[in-house]
Amino acid sequence: MANKSFAVIGLGRFGSNIARALAEKGFEVIVIDADENEVQKFSELVTHSFVLDATDEKALRDAGIADVDVAIVSLGQNIDTSILVTLVLKEIGVKEVIVKAINDQHGKILQRIGADRIIFPEREVAARLAESFVSPKIFDYIELSPSHSIIEIAAPKQFYNKTIKEIGLRQKYGVTLIAIKRKIPIIKDNGTTDFKEDILIAPNVDEEILEGDVITLLGRYEDLARIEKL
Amino acid sequence: MKKGSASAQDYLELGQFYMLNQKYSEAIKQFNLALKQKPDANIYYHLGLAYEALNQIPQAKTMYCKALALDPNHKDAQVHLARLNNK
Repeated sequence: MANKSFAVIGLGRFGSNIARALAEKGFEVIVIDADENEVQKFSELVTHSFVLDATDEKALRDAGIADVDVAIVSLGQNIDTSILVTLVLKEIGVKEVIVKAINDQHGKILQRIGADRIIFPEREVAARLAESFVSPKIFDYIELSPSHSIIEIAAPKQFYNKTIKEIGLRQKYGVTLIAIKRKIPIIKDNGTTDFKEDILIAPNVDEEILEGDVITLLGRYEDLARIEKL
Repeated sequence: MKKGSASAQDYLELGQFYMLNQKYSEAIKQFNLALKQKPDANIYYHLGLAYEALNQIPQAKTMYCKALALDPNHKDAQVHLARLNNK
């Protein structure tokens, strides 16, 4: 397992994160991209890095791609190239070819031409996060787009008695606070305690988050999930 | 308050004081001390309220149920439990 080798073709956000994670785990990694600047960033981190056209069969062979155990193709929105590269990789005999697809049609074509595994990262991340949102801490959840949503969540303990500015919701966590629902305790005529609910819309950055507050946040799934795990 | 001399009512009032200052975790501690002195529907109701304020809904429901087991006519516990069950 430890000496399994990988090739990552396409160093966009997904590809570069995968390459970095594999290299950090100690695997042999070859990275390929047509952009010299992107490749340059990996020259010290991975085993080999090449600036080349990944549809060029000979160049791929020369780079030793035929011998890797797994090739990961992540070419962003470039469907034609991703299909061509997948074909070439299967042609030169790469054992396992994993390709990032951007939509269903793309996925179907990749399957036809022999990709061993097709992944839809955004969709998979969203599904996994949606799963984590079925948590007792989350009271409501609206999906805005495949990448963004709004959640209503019990404020984490770490936020108690700090202002929105101190917490750094936007700077540190990358989310926007839309509203705070706060329970205001009252004493009733019969001497028992009760509370009424107050809502602060678009609160000021100097507003403190109090114990028991329920906050409504807008942000990317990953960022919201980070807060959910606090 | 002298140690050992506090009654269930004292703890309940202290807990209510914390509640009013939105210190719900502290309030829960006091209500639990009150319960040790005397299990009472009203104390369970207040515990439920503090858990509800902290958004710990399952615990809040349990406390309201306990309040109603001791006093089925506890109006506030009925109202809060019904509201949580409808959420």
